[in-house]
Amino acid sequence: MLWEKAEELAIWIVKAANCPYTWQASRENLGTSSLRMSTPPPPESSHDGLFSFLSRRRFLKAGLVAGGAVLGVGGGGLLLLRGRAPEVEGLRVLDAHAYKTLQSLVEIMLPRTAAIPLDPAPMDLPRAFDAFLADEPEHNVADLEKALVLIEFGPLAFDKKLTTFSRLDPEARSAHWNEWAVSDDLLRRQVSIAMRKFFNLVYFDRPEVWPYIGYPGPSMTRTRSVKP
Amino acid sequence: MSGGIIDLSKEAPPTEVTTEICIIGSGCGGATAARLLSEAGHEVVILEEGRDLIGPERTQRDAAMYDQLYMDRGGRATSDLSVSVLQGRVLGGGGVINACDVVPSPNAVLQHWAAKYGLEDFAPASFKPFQDAALQDLSAGRIPESLVNKANNKLRQGAEALGLRGEVMMHNRVGCQGLGTCLIGCPIHSKRNPRMVALPAAIEAGTRIFTRSRATQIKKANHELKEVDVRTLDPLGYHEKAPFRIRAKVVIVAANAIASAQLLLRSGIGNGQIGRNLTLQPQLPIIGLFDERIAAFDGVPQSYAITEFEEDDNAEHGLWGYRIEGISGTPGITATLLPYSGAQGMEGMALYDRMASSLILVPDAPSGTVEVARDGRMTIQYTQRANHQERLRHAVEIGAKAYLEAGATEVLVPTAPPLRIRSSSDAKNARQLTFAPATAPLISAHQQGTVRFAASERDGGANLNGEVFGTRDVYVFDSSGYPTSASSHTMTPIIASSRMLTAKLLTRI
Repeated sequence: MLWEKAEELAIWIVKAANCPYTWQASRENLGTSSLRMSTPPPPESSHDGLFSFLSRRRFLKAGLVAGGAVLGVGGGGLLLLRGRAPEVEGLRVLDAHAYKTLQSLVEIMLPRTAAIPLDPAPMDLPRAFDAFLADEPEHNVADLEKALVLIEFGPLAFDKKLTTFSRLDPEARSAHWNEWAVSDDLLRRQVSIAMRKFFNLVYFDRPEVWPYIGYPGPSMTRTRSVKP
Repeated sequence: MSGGIIDLSKEAPPTEVTTEICIIGSGCGGATAARLLSEAGHEVVILEEGRDLIGPERTQRDAAMYDQLYMDRGGRATSDLSVSVLQGRVLGGGGVINACDVVPSPNAVLQHWAAKYGLEDFAPASFKPFQDAALQDLSAGRIPESLVNKANNKLRQGAEALGLRGEVMMHNRVGCQGLGTCLIGCPIHSKRNPRMVALPAAIEAGTRIFTRSRATQIKKANHELKEVDVRTLDPLGYHEKAPFRIRAKVVIVAANAIASAQLLLRSGIGNGQIGRNLTLQPQLPIIGLFDERIAAFDGVPQSYAITEFEEDDNAEHGLWGYRIEGISGTPGITATLLPYSGAQGMEGMALYDRMASSLILVPDAPSGTVEVARDGRMTIQYTQRANHQERLRHAVEIGAKAYLEAGATEVLVPTAPPLRIRSSSDAKNARQLTFAPATAPLISAHQQGTVRFAASERDGGANLNGEVFGTRDVYVFDSSGYPTSASSHTMTPIIASSRMLTAKLLTRI
């Protein structure tokens, strides 16, 4: 009974991510089962990138873990939990819900602080992520879409809260997200690393940030600012 | 025959090219072979996935440069995301994006290879002329004191206070201005790397280089005339475009220990040893935080190393122990290594100009594999062994003590959760670090193994000439062949071994 419901949840999460995957598992092989792509990737999809860690098996396992927390809730009810996402123009890969998840993530990952009093919102880092993703191999795009669904439903799946990531207030969202970095679950640690790598790299590469960290920026004729 | 660089993202590819020698990869191994072979009068074509990014195109900005100079846009990693695998993808390869460290293979390591693995050509006396030539290619010299910056001096100060052996490192820079962006390409070309030395000479001698071209398969590996299937790439190198084919009598694969194995596996050639015995030499950063401005971004990023605990004559492994080397990175890449998100992360990066960082470099025993699935996807499987973790813990303790001796108020070990060391007695807490998968920002810059050189097919993937077992004149001339870590830094060994293997090839063709 437990596994059947967990299977349903895993299938639902994958469907929600609009991934081209079909369910290939049975209860007998849950530990090693995989979600197999319905169409093979194109030949160029031969390079594993930042998000290739989200193997289908691991994602499925995470989905199953999530199942334990939400067995009593039907898929339709889960869908409603996300609420509405305002339409966003010009996205190349992400849908409005994924974009909203990323906005919520950036807000707590790179907040305005006394040390760096910059609002990350005008930088539109989720759009930079979308642009990056648009040129990634298909399997990485699919993996990432699944990761974003996992993040959005993380409070439900892992904290047993009947809400979603974007709907948490910033303080609760931040506390929830910080748990991912030190989670016992490898997948959550991996998602945490991937997001931190991307957004930290892009954010701290921006010139408007440099004055707050004491970096003068690139130079073709550096003059030493301190004595060796 | 006139040589040159042809960017196939801009020019239509030839439908078919026939050449005597096709070299895949333009880094230290490939460029060196191309130069020597073309100077000896042979017809050479090089295939390179990256493009020729030079001068101010090297913008010194993290996002664009990791995207354009590194494999997988800087995102390559082991399958569990525990180790970030840095590999160049640009004309000139790893020499364009490395920290310019010149460390020849120690004689004890070479002797170990000769005695334990039967690699007689690598015995110190035989290999010496090739290492000497490599050092000449690199214009190798000791880093001048004027380029040792404050961050590296802090490490030296701490080492000296603790009575630890260390050294100012050797490098291959000429005319360095201390811009501090070596890891994302030098815009003033002060590195005497393959892009500036071997490739210009190879072009002068007639080598043709196709950039933005990816070798996807080697066919007819047993025939006199091999076929290399190639795909051109778009200008930014993201997507494959037109196919074309190169026919060559000799194919030399020199695409780095990861990509060389990947190509051989995708081609279905070689024996069951291909892809095995991978070493990554994973490195762990630690960060000393000071009350004063350090400005680690000024000057040469890596110039001083604590070598007290490095062994080059370990009976079982050859190079063993560890070394601790100063390092600095531009803001973006530094931020990716910190273990924090949110306000804590912002406060951490606000101290960027007060950081003096090191990389703990720990040679590993072969414990990884490169695998290619049926659908063509490549994965790097790697398990960090207990003896590696043990040495890392010891090194963290020593590194932390060194920074504290030099005046650091705190040493940050950027694991998840982070370890903060504020006193010498705190340093012993490093012994509790577990290094569970995906909890420490480990970095690999020196991948080796995967097509091990061996006298017998039973023991490796290529013979002592570098020829892949089961093929006719398909060779590997890069670090793929090394049975264990050749050195703490592989640029010099790769140039030297490519010189040696090319000299042997020239006696047969």
